[in-house]
Amino acid sequence: MKRLFILTALFPIVLIGLAQQKPYETKAQQLVMTNEDSLHAGVSNSKTVISGYGSAFYQRDFNQKQSTVTLERAVLFLGHQFSDKVSFFSELEVENAKIAAGENGTGEIAMEQAFLKFNLNPKQYIVAGLFVPRIGILNENHLPVNFNGVERPIVEQLVIPATWRELGVGFYGSSNKMPLNYSVAVINGLNSQKFEHGTGIREGRAEGSSALANNLAVTASLQYLWKDFKFQVSGYVGGTVGLSPLGADSLGLNSGAFGTPLYLGEADVQYSKKGIAIKALGTYIWYPDAGTINAAYANNMATGMYGAYAELAYDWLYPKHVKSQLITFARFEALDLNATIPSNGIYDGTEKQTHLIAGIGYLPLPNVVIKIDVRLLHTGPQNKELVINPPPNALPYKQNDQFLNIGIGYSF
Amino acid sequence: MLVAGGYFLSELAACNPAYHVIKTEIVDDTLRVPLSSFAQSAIQFVRPQGWYYDIAVRKTDNGTYESLLLQCTHQQNQLVPAGEGYSCNLHGSRFGNDGTVIKGPAENRLKKYSTSIEQDKLVVHLKS
Repeated sequence: MKRLFILTALFPIVLIGLAQQKPYETKAQQLVMTNEDSLHAGVSNSKTVISGYGSAFYQRDFNQKQSTVTLERAVLFLGHQFSDKVSFFSELEVENAKIAAGENGTGEIAMEQAFLKFNLNPKQYIVAGLFVPRIGILNENHLPVNFNGVERPIVEQLVIPATWRELGVGFYGSSNKMPLNYSVAVINGLNSQKFEHGTGIREGRAEGSSALANNLAVTASLQYLWKDFKFQVSGYVGGTVGLSPLGADSLGLNSGAFGTPLYLGEADVQYSKKGIAIKALGTYIWYPDAGTINAAYANNMATGMYGAYAELAYDWLYPKHVKSQLITFARFEALDLNATIPSNGIYDGTEKQTHLIAGIGYLPLPNVVIKIDVRLLHTGPQNKELVINPPPNALPYKQNDQFLNIGIGYSF
Repeated sequence: MLVAGGYFLSELAACNPAYHVIKTEIVDDTLRVPLSSFAQSAIQFVRPQGWYYDIAVRKTDNGTYESLLLQCTHQQNQLVPAGEGYSCNLHGSRFGNDGTVIKGPAENRLKKYSTSIEQDKLVVHLKS
């Protein structure tokens, strides 16, 4: 009875003590820090950060009279800072929500980035692993809160195949004397065997998955910031035949590090001031030996491809100095995936396209966005030589189409 | 194109004569910056010896000073000056001149250090 009395008397004291203690955390939990924790941890702690981004959208194709809705992306970032000098960054992406063996039309799971970063000093660092080189605007800045429109710019999907990630080593830096950023990287080259008519060089990316590495590529960029402008030029040159010399010879292709080369050049400018944002980008791909690739693989590649877009946006809430943003924008894009073709190429007018996109993005916070836009597509005429299933078996090709897009996005 | 771009950018660089980094030692958890340096530019970039991040020190319109650690609060990447603030090339976060978040994925403002003035020096207190 006496023991029970003592326990009863001590019970409130124990409760108060427990309330004052921090909740129990496992060792792993102690390592994982929220952004808030990492901010207060200063600059010299070992820490692990989990974050991510994602987007979902509804699309109505008015020609097809077909609507679709999908969880486009859910991406998990995992980063770890081993020391002030060495960090690890990764992005694990699930596209379209579901991966299921044996089912068509399901999604994809892929590492979008996984690399080690070695800081040389506050302005220069080296990355090694799977990373997105600085080519174009979107490749490095592909989070849905950082671009206008539900869909990523079409030019930066079809001409610059963002997100374009490859395995390699990159050197990044900023000048101490002027607002100049630069980068140079050596990465694995593209695989021309996988190029597909209609998607430019997109399918030739290895994305870190057992890339052929007999061929290599070099990419470099320069960025300059002047007042409210940001100018960038970037370039890529790489071999597109990673086969062994024997395999390449049998197909009549030039192999080696830069054999059967592909060149890509890009320039862009961005302006941002007082809620007004302007972007303009132009890019050109030159593939002089496309004819030999067509002879080997019959994938109807072009010797020249181009794309360009210009975008004007305004944040109507900027004058109120609030965290929310209400952005209206319009973007015009033009591209041609067969601007010039080799003698054995077949011109496809549907690959010469213009897109006019206009819409609204509302960000209640900088990390959450609700988007709606309309895209008007116009293409050149279909080439009858490329039609496998002509009318009336298939519907006649329409050079104009309209899309309604409604989406959400987040990042943290 | 990169060569042409390099030439164009070097020409543009002449328009920014005041852009430079002040390298300094940490003494008693403080940094000292000559006040005279702010006569050239309202923003000075200070590099503490042995650190892998710079500190931006800005003289505000009302004559006070603000100092910000140029470390992205998302995944600790170094920031670069961009227009009216700073940007992170890793995931695209953008911060205003005062350190507030303009674009995600970062959610928290930049770390701020307190400052004081001693004679002709601005003192940045790193333990604050």
